[in-house]
Amino acid sequence: MTLEELEVFVTTQANVSMEAYYWWCTALMITIHVGFLMYEVGASRFKNAVSSAVKNLLAFAFMIPTFWLFGWYIYLAFPGGFTPIDLEGYGTPWNVSMGPMLSDQATGVFWAAFTLFACTTASVFSGAVLERIRISAFVFLAVLLGSVCWILGAAWGWHPDGWLVTQFGYHDVGAAGVVHMIAGWFAFGVILNLGPRVGKYNADGSANEIEGHDLRFSFVGLLMIIVGFFGFLGGCLIWAGADLGGWINIYGAPATLSSFAFNTLMGLAGGMIGAFWMSKGNPFWMMSGGLAGIFSCASGLDVWYPGLAFVLGFVGGVIIIPANNWLHSVFKIDDPVGAVSVHGVAGIWGVVAMGLFASGYPAAGDIPPTSFGGQLVGCIVMFLVGFVPGYGVSFVMKMMGWLRVPDAVQIAGIDQAELGLRAHTSA
Amino acid sequence: MNSWPGPENSWEGVDAYFTSANSEGTLIFWTLLVIALLILVTMLAARHESDTANKTK
Repeated sequence: MTLEELEVFVTTQANVSMEAYYWWCTALMITIHVGFLMYEVGASRFKNAVSSAVKNLLAFAFMIPTFWLFGWYIYLAFPGGFTPIDLEGYGTPWNVSMGPMLSDQATGVFWAAFTLFACTTASVFSGAVLERIRISAFVFLAVLLGSVCWILGAAWGWHPDGWLVTQFGYHDVGAAGVVHMIAGWFAFGVILNLGPRVGKYNADGSANEIEGHDLRFSFVGLLMIIVGFFGFLGGCLIWAGADLGGWINIYGAPATLSSFAFNTLMGLAGGMIGAFWMSKGNPFWMMSGGLAGIFSCASGLDVWYPGLAFVLGFVGGVIIIPANNWLHSVFKIDDPVGAVSVHGVAGIWGVVAMGLFASGYPAAGDIPPTSFGGQLVGCIVMFLVGFVPGYGVSFVMKMMGWLRVPDAVQIAGIDQAELGLRAHTSA
Repeated sequence: MNSWPGPENSWEGVDAYFTSANSEGTLIFWTLLVIALLILVTMLAARHESDTANKTK
């Protein structure tokens, strides 16, 4: 083998390994959807279990083509704000860049990872609207969230040229703000207009607990989501293949898979234990707390000391329960799975914690170092990117009569009324 | 940048390696068809939901 041949061989192997890595991250992220599906089927009453599953699967299915149509383009074209940069057609679906190119083995794989991020974001929203949102309305809102709002937030807070990054040093490697805050507060905006399930609230304003029909599904589903998040978080790290010596974070600074491994697990454990304590042993909240623990650490997964990650996760697991209770009592919302609290509130904690405990960390080039002020600005922006379109668009849909399943259909059960199906025949 | 089929029916010099890559008009057609199918299915689902609501009182 000549030296040139050896160089080609090594470069090819490095690039193929990098592409395969994101391929398997994408595959692993599909288990997040297995998890969300099981979780939400379990949290639904028997009469709505199938439609909850259909809704979940449709979000996944619609996210893929819409992210190909315009989501990926939004990420590439809008890092500066609301004015697109001129990409000379790159990233538009009829451009050759959006199909297989022999000279570019990686774009499709990166697109796939981002598409699964979009699918995950839409799945977060699906739990909050269980049992009373029209499936067609849900699909429309999910596309808005996953293929427009979230990816716009990512263009601003993840893209190395994003204005939150270049002007404020916003640091959010694991997407506490970019995914979880946007999804959680989008869901909050929608459920303010959607209204509660029939029977959730009494005339005097007191709330009734509406139990899901199979908690075992929910427990296993939540654990599956955690498995899938190793694909999600793994996909948040950048492996430049043959270009650079090792891993970098999305902002170009050195990072390690080791840091993600340490801190994801420690944050997960802290969240589970904190929520176990706060909920007095409720396994639903314990598992949700585990997720919240990961989100609490997500912004700074690359830099936390593992002991601090555990404490951050513990706090996240503790706060989601009173936050969920407060949101329900003040706003009279109906959030069957606590999505607003687990994602929206824990996401805020994750973004702000980066500013409180990890200010001064550098990024590549002229990107400012991390700061509390930068994280606070990012926090406000991510809240607005989620809440404003969620509330505004669902308000219009409500006025059009295209949002809520009528009460009579809710009482009869969506499965039988709309699908003519039963989840199983043993009940 | 060439597309399949490239010169002499080989992949030499081919970059964009997918069906109709050399015809932007065809790519636009398929794109519009994707959009139409997504909108159509959503509208049909919405109509089914409305029909169900009318039947279920």
